[in-house]
Parts: sequence; C-alpha cells; structure tokens
Amino acid sequence: MAERAVRRRHPLTEGLRATAQSSSDTEHDTPASRLPLARGQGAHSQPLGYGESPRTSRIVLAVLTALAFVLRFYKLSHPDEVVYVSRQPSLRLPTLTPSSFDEVHFGKFAAYYVKREYYFDVHPPLAKLLLALAAWFVGFDGEFEFDTIGDSYTANHVPYVGIRALPAILGSLTVPIVYAIMKESGYPTIVAAFSAAIVLFDNAHIAQTRLILLDAQLVFFMALSIYSYIRFRKVRYSEFTQQWWFWLLATGFNLACTLGCKMVGLFTFTTIGICVLVDLWDILDIRKGHSMQYFWTHFGARAGALIVFPFIIYLSFFWIHFAILTQSGPGDTFMSPAFQETLKGNELLLNSQEIRYYDTIVMKHKETKAFLHSHPDKYPLRYADGRISSQGQQVTAYTHNDTNNHWQVIPTKALPTTGRGRIVRHNDVIQLRHVATNTNLLTHDVASPHMATNQEFTTWPVDDNTRHNDTLFIVELVDGEPNEVWKTKAGYFYLTHVPTRVHMWTHAKPLPEWGFKQQEINGNKKTPDKSFIWLVDQIISDETGADLQNRTEPVVEKPVKKMNFFRKWAELQVLMLQHNAGLTASHPYASNPIAWPYLFSGISFWTQNDTKMQIYFIGNIIGWWVASTSIFIYIGMLVGDLIGRRRGEELIPDNVRNRLWNSGGMFVVAWAAHYFPFFLMNRQLFLHHYLPAHLCSALVAGSVFNFMITENINYPVSVAGPATRLRPLQRTDIGKQAALVTAGFSLAMVLGLVFLGPLTYGTPGLDGDQVNTRRVLSSWTLHFAGKKTHDVSG
Amino acid sequence: MPEDKARRRVVRAHNAPEHDQGISDHGYPAEEERDVYEKMRLSKPVPVGTRRRVPPPATNIQEALRQNMEHIIPAIYTLLSCWTRFHDIGKSNYVVWDEAHFGKFGSHYLKREFYFDVHPPLGKMLVGLVGGLAGYTGNFDFKSGAQYPDDVPYTAMRVMLSIFGVLMVPLAWYTAREMGMGHRASHIVTIMTLCDLAWLCISRFILLDAMLLFFTFLVIFCLTKFHSERFEPFEPDWWLWLALTGISIGCVCSVKWVGFFATAVVGLYTIEDLWDKFGDLRMPVRTYFYHWVARACCLIVLPFIVYATCFKIHFIVLNHSGPGDAQMPSLFQANLVGNDFGRNPVEAAFGSRVTLKNMGYGGGLLHSHVQSFPTGSKQQQVTCYHYKDDNNHWNIAPPWNEPAVDLQGPIRFLQDNDVIRLQHSSTKRNLHSHAVPAPVTKLANEVSCYGNETVGDNHDHWIVEVVDDLKQGRRSNVKRIHSLTTRLRFKHKRFGCYLRAANVILPQWGFKQVEVSCEKDTSPSDTHTYWNIENHWNDRLPMADRSHSSSPFFRDFWHLNVAMMTSNNALVPDPDKEDILASKPFDWPLMHLGLRMCGWGDHQLKYYLLGNPIVWWSGAASLVLSVIALLVYALRWQRKYADFEPAELDKYLFMNKLSLLGWALHFGPFVIMGRVTYVHHYLPALYFAVLSFGALLDHFVFSSRRLNARAKWTVFGLIVFAVVDTFWWFKGIAFGIDGPIGEHKGLQWRKSWNIY
Repeated sequence: MAERAVRRRHPLTEGLRATAQSSSDTEHDTPASRLPLARGQGAHSQPLGYGESPRTSRIVLAVLTALAFVLRFYKLSHPDEVVYVSRQPSLRLPTLTPSSFDEVHFGKFAAYYVKREYYFDVHPPLAKLLLALAAWFVGFDGEFEFDTIGDSYTANHVPYVGIRALPAILGSLTVPIVYAIMKESGYPTIVAAFSAAIVLFDNAHIAQTRLILLDAQLVFFMALSIYSYIRFRKVRYSEFTQQWWFWLLATGFNLACTLGCKMVGLFTFTTIGICVLVDLWDILDIRKGHSMQYFWTHFGARAGALIVFPFIIYLSFFWIHFAILTQSGPGDTFMSPAFQETLKGNELLLNSQEIRYYDTIVMKHKETKAFLHSHPDKYPLRYADGRISSQGQQVTAYTHNDTNNHWQVIPTKALPTTGRGRIVRHNDVIQLRHVATNTNLLTHDVASPHMATNQEFTTWPVDDNTRHNDTLFIVELVDGEPNEVWKTKAGYFYLTHVPTRVHMWTHAKPLPEWGFKQQEINGNKKTPDKSFIWLVDQIISDETGADLQNRTEPVVEKPVKKMNFFRKWAELQVLMLQHNAGLTASHPYASNPIAWPYLFSGISFWTQNDTKMQIYFIGNIIGWWVASTSIFIYIGMLVGDLIGRRRGEELIPDNVRNRLWNSGGMFVVAWAAHYFPFFLMNRQLFLHHYLPAHLCSALVAGSVFNFMITENINYPVSVAGPATRLRPLQRTDIGKQAALVTAGFSLAMVLGLVFLGPLTYGTPGLDGDQVNTRRVLSSWTLHFAGKKTHDVSG
Repeated sequence: MPEDKARRRVVRAHNAPEHDQGISDHGYPAEEERDVYEKMRLSKPVPVGTRRRVPPPATNIQEALRQNMEHIIPAIYTLLSCWTRFHDIGKSNYVVWDEAHFGKFGSHYLKREFYFDVHPPLGKMLVGLVGGLAGYTGNFDFKSGAQYPDDVPYTAMRVMLSIFGVLMVPLAWYTAREMGMGHRASHIVTIMTLCDLAWLCISRFILLDAMLLFFTFLVIFCLTKFHSERFEPFEPDWWLWLALTGISIGCVCSVKWVGFFATAVVGLYTIEDLWDKFGDLRMPVRTYFYHWVARACCLIVLPFIVYATCFKIHFIVLNHSGPGDAQMPSLFQANLVGNDFGRNPVEAAFGSRVTLKNMGYGGGLLHSHVQSFPTGSKQQQVTCYHYKDDNNHWNIAPPWNEPAVDLQGPIRFLQDNDVIRLQHSSTKRNLHSHAVPAPVTKLANEVSCYGNETVGDNHDHWIVEVVDDLKQGRRSNVKRIHSLTTRLRFKHKRFGCYLRAANVILPQWGFKQVEVSCEKDTSPSDTHTYWNIENHWNDRLPMADRSHSSSPFFRDFWHLNVAMMTSNNALVPDPDKEDILASKPFDWPLMHLGLRMCGWGDHQLKYYLLGNPIVWWSGAASLVLSVIALLVYALRWQRKYADFEPAELDKYLFMNKLSLLGWALHFGPFVIMGRVTYVHHYLPALYFAVLSFGALLDHFVFSSRRLNARAKWTVFGLIVFAVVDTFWWFKGIAFGIDGPIGEHKGLQWRKSWNIY
C-alpha cells in the first residue's frame, strides 16, 4: 500500500488518531472521570477552582431559579385587564388582526381552542396550544372574548393568572437553562451565573414572560435546543450509544417545539444546522481516519434526528390543531372552499348551490368584497389625463348590495330543456346580461379609466349583435376539473374574455366623481393570481323568476367533508407565510433591527390613565449594553487572533483558542442567526423579536468574561469514548475577583431592574418627573412624561 | 467503490506529459512535504492564459496568421458584432422606450440647461456628445413614442452609442482568454455575448445600458489582466492594468450606480489578495505597505477623481437655468445663466411672498398642496418638493395677535426672533404643527396646513431664528434677514420644535415627496433644520442687482449625490399601481418575463427585451452546477483526493470566484433593495453567468482528460449551434418585428412572456 501512504499524510492506524487529536480541536477526558468533569467528578484528583464544587453549583442554580420565579411571578395578577399594545388612534390599523402581539389576540386564540372554533393566525400553533392547555386546566370556559381593550379580567371571572402562569413558568425555567448551557460548555460556576444573571434580571424577558404572549415559550424551547445540542456534542466520542441518541433526538424535538411556537424557530434550526455542518466537516477530515461509510451513518443519523423527526413533530402540532378546531370560526374566510367545507357550521356547507343557465346572480370580488355593478351612466369621453374612453356604460365594482348588481347567465350553446345539462360548468363560455339595463357585459381594446395597460369594461345592448364576440366570457374555476359545477360561495372563478384573453379584475383605488367613487373594473392581461378571484355571492332568481327554494330540495345541512391532513397543512402553512410577509403596515412601535442591541426604542404595552401606570417593554439597559458590547469584543479577539496567526504569532494557547472558537463561536453564530435575518425582512418588526438573540448574546458575554479574567480553561469537558486517548486534566481557577465582578454586576443589574421596574411590572404609577428620569435614552417614548420646562414656552 | 481505489484513479504524475506545456513542472515540493493547509505558493510565475514569450518574426503568411490568431479571432467577432448591432438600427423612426429619458437628457447638454436625474452624468454626457457630433441641435423633446423629425440624426446617434455594444464582444473574448479559458470555451463565451438578444437589443438604442455593460466588461477585463501580472508587482504593466482597472471603475460608476457592484468585485479581489500577502512572512513590511498604497491610489483615489471629474464637467456644461434647478442649493441656482434670484429684493419683510429652501444635503422647497394627510390630523399636507411651482409660495404674515400687514404703512422688515405666520399662497392655509406624530418619523410632530386667512390658532406661530448669513456674518451681526444668504431656523412657538425635512420619503399618498416634520430634540448644527429664502417677491421693495460668488464644487457635488440617492430611494414600487413593465429579481435568471419596449400595434415596429433563452438558461444552470462542483471538490479536498495541480487549482478557483461572486454581487442587491426593478437590471449579472458557463465547460469538458477531441468538438458544435440558432429564431425581437405579431409564430417559449 505504498500508494496510500503517498496520498495520505498519515497511515490509517491508531497512531493517526493520536496525532490527529493532538493537532485538531477535540477535547476529551481522563480515566478518572468518564462523566463530564464539569459535574464535579474527579474532584479528589485536583483542587477545584473558586466556587467550583458541585455543592456550590447546586446552590447557585437553586438561587437563580428561585429568584427567576420570584421576579416573574411578582404581582403576576397585575394588571387585571387585557394588556394590549397601545397605538395612537390616528394611525391606520393593519387590516388583519394577527399582526398584533398582545393579550387581545393570544388570549382570544386560547378561547377559540377551548370553544373549538377555527381561527387563523400567522404563527404555528404550539405556543397557543400550550396557552389553551393552561387555560383549560385552570377552568377557563372560553366565553370571554378578550375583545374590548381594557376589559377587566376580574369582573368577567377570567382565570387569567393561571394562563399567565404558563409563560411565567417557562420564562423562569429559561434562567437555569442558560446557567446549564454555560456549565455544560465548560465555563466555571461564576461565569455561568454571570450569563444567567443577564437573563434573570432582565426587564424585557420579565415583561414578555409575565403576559399571555408567545415569546416565553419560544425562548424557552430555543434555549433548550441549544442546551441539548451541547449535551449531544459532549457525548460525541460515545457515538450511537443510548445517551448519544437521547440528546440528538432531544435536540430535534426541542427544535420542532421552537418552530412550533413561531417561524423564528427556523433561525434556531439554522444555528444547529451550521454547528452540525461544522461537525460533519470535521468527521470528514481524512486525518481522523474515518471511512465514508462511517460518515454517511453520522450524516444519516443527523438528517433523521434533526430534519425528519422534527418535521414529524411539527406536523403533529398541526394535526392536534386541526383535531381540536372542528367548528366554523373567524378563520374560515382565510381558507379555500374545500378547507372550509371541513368545518362544522360553515356557510359554504349551508348555502353552496349549483348555478344554472338563466339564473340571475350577484358576483363578488374576493379580495375587495365588492360586487360587480353597472348603471346607466356612461364613461366620460375624456379622462383627466387626456386619454379617451369608449363612452360606453360604466361597469364598476360596488360594495353595497343593490339591484344593479344583478347579472343573468346567458348560454352560448344549445341547452336541454330540463335536467343537469342546464348547469354551468368549468370552462363554459357565457354571456352576462345586466338585468336592470338589458345589456351584455363586454370588454374591448380600449384603455381603462385608471390604467392604460388594462382594458375597459362596458356593456352592449342585448339586441345588437354586432359586437357579439366581445361579449363572450369563460368561467374558469380556480383549480377546476373538467365538468366541475359552478357553485355559489364555493366556486371561486376567474372571468376570462374570449377574444382578448384578459381577466376581469378590480382594485381598491376608487374612480373619480363621475364614477361615484366606485371601484374600477378592468381587464388585466397578467396571469391570474388571488386578486383575480371572483365568487357568486347568491342566486337571486332563476329563469322563471320563481322562488329558488322550489327548484332544489330544501337546503339541508350537508355533512362535513374530509380533507387530507397534508393538504390542509400545506394550505395553512402557505397562508401563514404569505400573511406573515404581508404584515407591512406601519406601526408606531415598530422598529428597525439596528436599534435593538442597544435598546434605542421599546414598545408601549399598556397604560392606565387614572393611575398613571404603564407597561413599557424595554430591556435592562446594563445587561443589554454589556451583552451587545461583548459581541464586539469577541469579534475583536477573533480578528486579533487571526491577524496574529497570519503573521506567525501564536497569541493564545491552542486549547484556549479552540474553546474560544468553538464554544464562543457557536454562541455568536446563534446570535447572528437569530438577529441578521431580520434585516432582510420587509414586515413590521418589534423589539421583542430580539429576545432570542439577546439570550445568545448573554451566552457570548459569559464566554468573553471567562476569557478576559483567566488565561486558562476547564479542559477537557467532553465525555471520553472507548477509543479516546486521554489527556491531562486541567482546571481553571478564576479566583475571587471574578466572583466579586459577578456580584457587582448582578447588583448593578438589580438596580437597573428596580429602576425600570415600574415600567416592566406596570406598577406603581409614576408621575411626570419620575417618568422623565426613567427615560434613559431620549428615543424612548414613555407615556405620562412630564413637560420639560422649555416645552411650556407658549 | 472503495475509497482508496477511487482516490487512486485520479493519480497524476507531476510531470503529466499530456498536460499544458505552459505550466512549469518544477518548483513544487513533493506532496508529502507540502503543508496542505498552507496556501499554495508559487516560486515562479505561472502564466495563466497568456503566452509571455515573444515569438520570432513570422516568415510566411501561415505563421503570421498563427501568431496573431489571438487578435484575428476577436477582429472577426467584432465585425460580426458590428453587423448585429448596426443592422437596421435606424428602422424604427420613433422614440423607443427610455430613449425618451436619455435622449432628452442628452438634449439638455446641447442646450446647456441644468436638469436633474437619478443617474450620474457620464453616460448622458456621452449621449449629448454623440448628439453634438451627429449634428443634433437639442431641440427635440423626445416624447415617448413620438416620431423623430428629420433634423434629429437619431440613426447616427444610435450607431455611435452602439459602438459600446459592439466592443462588448471582443472584450468578452480577451477576458475569457485572460482568465485562462481554452480556445473552445472562449469561443463559446464570445458567441454567447454576440448572440444574446437582450444585450443586443439594449445596445441598439439611445440608452445608458450599453455603456454600463461595456464598462462593466472593461472592469473585469482589466482585473483579469492585472491578475495575470500579479507575479511581477510594481512593473510598468502591473501599474498600467491596476490604473486602468481604477479608471474603468470610475467610468462604470459614473454611468450608473449599478457600477458599484463591479467595484465590489474588484474590492473583494483586492482584500483577498492583500490578506494573502499579509500572511507572506518573507515579504518585507515596506513592500507590503507599498501594495496597500498602490491599491488605495489606483482603486480608490483614481476612480473618485474620474467620478468627480464627470460631475465637474457636468456643472461646467450645464450653466443655464433648466428643469433641475430646484434640486440644487439656492446659491448654485443663482449662478446659472437665466436665473433671476439676484434681482429679487434682498431684505425680507412682512407681506413678502417667498419660497423656502431646505439647506440640508438633498433638501427641497417647502411645499403644500390641497391633498390632505390620510393619517394623523387629516389636515392639508406639507412636504418638501424638488420642482418649482406655485404651491411652493408662502406669504410672511404677522401672528394672530398682531394687526395684519398694513400695505400703506411703513415696511416692517423681518428680523431675528420675530414671530411669524407662514401662509400658503394658493390655499391661504397657515403652516401649522401640533402634537400629532408625523406620518413616517413617528417621534416628531406632524406639520400641516390649517385654517385660512381668518381662522387659526397659536399653533400657527413660528419663531424665526437666524443661524448666520453668508455676507453679514455671525448671528449677532445679522440686522435684517436677506434672501439667499441668510440661514434660518423655524421654531414652533408652542412646542419649541424645529421645522425639519430630512429626505424621508412619504408613501404614495404624499406623491413620494419628502416629509416635513417638527423635531423636538434636534441639534443646533443639524442642517436639515436650516432654511433659506430662495425666491422673494415684494412689490414695495426695490429690485436688487446682486452677483454671487460661485458655490464650492464639492458642496454641489455632494448635494447632487444626496439628491440622487433620495430620488432613487423614492423609486419604490407602488403597491396600488399596476406596473406591467416591472419585474422581480427572481423572474430574471430563468427569463420568466420579457419586456415590451414599445407599443404593440400591428403597424408598429416592435421590440421585445428578452434574452437568448439558451444563453440565459445555460448561464443560470451553470451557476448552480458551479456551486455544486465547488462543494463536491471541497468535500474531496477534505478527503485529500488529488484533483488538481496547484496552478490548475489556482485558475479554477479564480474563474469560479470571479464569476460566482460577480454574479451574486450584481444580483443579490436587487433582491434586497426595495427599488422597482426591471429585466434590464439583470444584464450585468448575466455576463458573470456566461463566464461561469464558459469556466464550467472549460473545466469539465474541454480540459477533461477523459473525453477525446471528437467528443469535445461535438459538445462545442452543439452549443454553438443551439446559441446561434436560437439567436436566428428570435432575432426579430431585437431587430424589430414588423407587421402583426400574430404572424410571427413560435416565439412564446414560456407561457409568461407577453409577446402575443
């Protein structure tokens, strides 16, 4: 095998493993402890650093957890009314309710689960399911609608404290998880406590987890994902053991839960994904001496556990969602007719009827909810911009119901006298007669009033056959099958003109005075999208003019239809993403991501004028500034190391650098993956979107703190596998100063927390001057601010 | 297949006999000794693509031909390119598409009237130059779709401008050669450049795109030349190509700002290069420093000089008052021929009618119109507007608690700290501010127009604060407020906030004009709160006769650039309006949409902006394939397969980095930016897709050791045939389709094209 020796630097022996491990970035354990030393095993073999005994660790953990619960449950019952995000009434509200993020919405969604009524929201269901579970658990009957802002919970006997307790509990548990992440990554107790303190005493985390919102759940699962991945990473030398599988699958499960709370979970997937890729890349390195088969096994295990398994879990949330929400509810209209027919009590099930030729119908534009309308008035000869019209009868879209909305379906083929041959079907060519003026709908190559590129719609007398071809239209059912029947309500269709292939279309911009401010109808050449959809709202009469109910049997309630779960899920998922991207309306408290790390603006959650109490969502300025700055310090250290090494200077010992790159690097990647994608989004963004990234920045802060106070690390921290060559144990002693720094920092954090506390807990009320003092940055828009003296000049 | 066996399969001796005589076969340490992690260093220059040795003089024609093959081939391509570009170029005798803009801008240079446009001036100056050369006088208004009158030499102008388009083709050839592609791959790149219909179509009219494309090609060509010189730093040739790279960067940026993406390609190349050199411990620090200085001079200073020179010429040529005046500072306008500011009364008084100019970079005129805010107070809008009309006129009136201006009484001049009311001349409403958040800048107060001549309140009162005066000096020396020269601030008397306009664009309801707000916390040095009186009318005051010193060039330069930036940002798609021409970036690589460049009537000559499908699709496919190939090679590298000779690797990486990065940098920004985008924005990126296709073929087919020459020629022939054939099939869309479109069948290869 001389060949192989030439091609490879090292022979494939155990010796290669040893060399490789000494030169690469692996960490492993001594025989004294097959368990992580961080857990305190092997304490007898070497003196422990300051505060490093397992007992201290347990005490610190207990104290942190207890404090977290205290801070998050403190006055949980206040305020006892629906907390909503206050907006200046002058601003245009987003038309879709799901764009907001307050108790009005998430409380309501919990109520819908309890009542089993279908609703639509842009977020996946897990976090809301958990809220609903809590609500159901504490006996909420779902009758309170969370509709009226400022409604009292107490007066309406809503067990709101129980519902709020769920986010509060998860929010509290996030603190020990942060501590554990740091501990498991090999940092000393005091450093871990430092990181945990940034989250523990943070006003933003506290405010967000005390209310009926989704972020507590999201952040909890996201932290848990990172934690379980680190645990998995630590047992990598004992591959395919029970423990290994457990932590791998736990990572997948937690990832799925994160994604199940909000689509932001995709960023957590990205984080773990990057770490896995780096890991796999290392496995692939030939100097590790692994075969390709070995690599593929690892690849497969990760793909299964971190992609397939989470996907199944994620789907199961939707399965539960659909299984619970079986009744018709406010979310119906978002969905397709086929979907709506799966909901009990849906209008489509009650009313959908087949349309026959010579029926008089009313057509409605799905997006603008306006009816196709015409009236005897003509288009003006000249428009304001100088273009010329055909001066034909106006065809408009009108939001009110009147008899000018009545159109009769005229066939263009011979019909049987009775029977199902008289039913209008997909792709039939029809004429539409405007009943009131006895004219046929027509479009032709004349520019429409508003758009030079689109065709004008008008009508033509029925008895004048000269323009017959221009009055022909095809009923194209959306996703229609051949011979599918055209139905009211359910039968979404495009109306396509036969000679010119344009599609009937309308938009919200009103016509000028001559068109009575009604909407313009025009023929659009574009490929139809959802703004082209029309539906038949009702059948007014059939050709005999007789009562409709006589034609068909009395309308009986039809049985609920079944629909494949995957089709339901796919439809909902697409809608969620579309609506999520569509949340672009402006909001007074929306902010640019650039303003987040240094807290340039917050969100006013709730105010009460009588007591001058308010909740203003803002972080603990000390913690945020330290955490954000630490990221810059970290990057500075890396760049310094890179530049040094490029010039042949080894500034940091190898194992310390590996820890800096791998552990600190993972936290920074997590931070970046949870922060930068927001810059690419066009939707409205808020400060609370930064919470997951803030948690990551707390981890980075701990890491940086560790490298600043000591030149040593706890090494190794991973669990040795059966074939690992064992390394000498090394323990860092960060000394008393670190403890003092952490204590001092915590004290500062507590002071910051207490100082901004009234804004976080919404109590006590503050007078003008007190509000002014708390406006640390001039960009914060606090309510009830006192007038500064120079403001009162006039 | 077991891995070891697979690895053996590609083993190559170092002295591979069948391979590239150009590469020296010595100078590499044996592989065992070589540190695989260290960036490969070449001890001797390895010519990539170029042959450096000077051949002996030719003795017969055959030899001469062979020696000059490198130039004969591109010469032939240039001739072909002349035919495609010039063929029937004057057939459409009406203004096609954006000729309406650029022809008009060219006219302004000939008439020397100041105009404003979002693009830098070089391209439009060339249009003007070409017009001048062709004998055009500048008297045609280039109305879209209008027929050219006899005295407009549009054909000559088009021909001269399409020379830029002609030169793209030889540049593509030389670039491909210089990157190290073989003959066959270079032919394919060149033929694709020659036969792409979008490039062809866009270079046949009076537009800027041909110049933009030419200069983009030139940047890349100079960069590849410079890359080839990298082993002989500080030699004359090295300096030449570095400097030319810088100059072409300056040119491309002066045509359109899209040129900054090409600059970014060069920037990234330079950063990588300097980082490599930084790790070279044998290089003296002084040399390394010189490398920095050379690049800073040639790639930053030189382009900036070119860019600024273009603006300087722009200002020198355009010395008459024209439609773009209002974009510029008042003092600049005062110096234009035909401007009458100098004759306006000097000292402002109560009862004067004035226009107010914001003095921040890119500032406009204080404006109001009858439309009202759809949000906030719903009162009449106040904006900052960059064109002159009567809605910019304001009357200076005394506050409500003082008697109205007495037209018979003594003239009361305006002084520092006077309280005034600004009444909008045409609607008689008063400039007003109140505690309602401004529509975009939510933290500031809204400014609106409210009331009328008799109705109003103390929210209409503004305190005039003088900052300083250009002539009179510091605030304390300013006795009376002068038009043009006095810098003012307007402080709201009730709230103490300052009138401010900081280039924030209002949505469609505000006609994309600039928001005016009342800012509470603003620093005294914020020029966006500074205003000056521009026009000044007062019948009771004498006309002045003032002359003004010229305004400093760099101030005007910077002002114009900020104004261009602001207008560019205002070009966002209007969600309420159907724009059938616009497209989204992801429509481009696979040619989802074409663009009708003119009317579609039966008797019109019709042009359709659409690429050659084979070129676009194969370019898009090769981008994907190149990324996959790089990934596979990376994996194989991690497994230590010996896939490359060092020089070969260097060449392969350079080609891929250049084409993939170039494409990403010319495509990605369009995805992110909110501006309205059109198909022709993809044309520079397409070049990199084509280069990537050439590189891919060169590496996997034409340099392949497994394929024999016949297979290579077959692939080559098929591709050339496909490209040329499609070109021929679609040539009408670029040469102009006559007669009813329905008679030309078979053009609609994708359903989404609106050809028919």
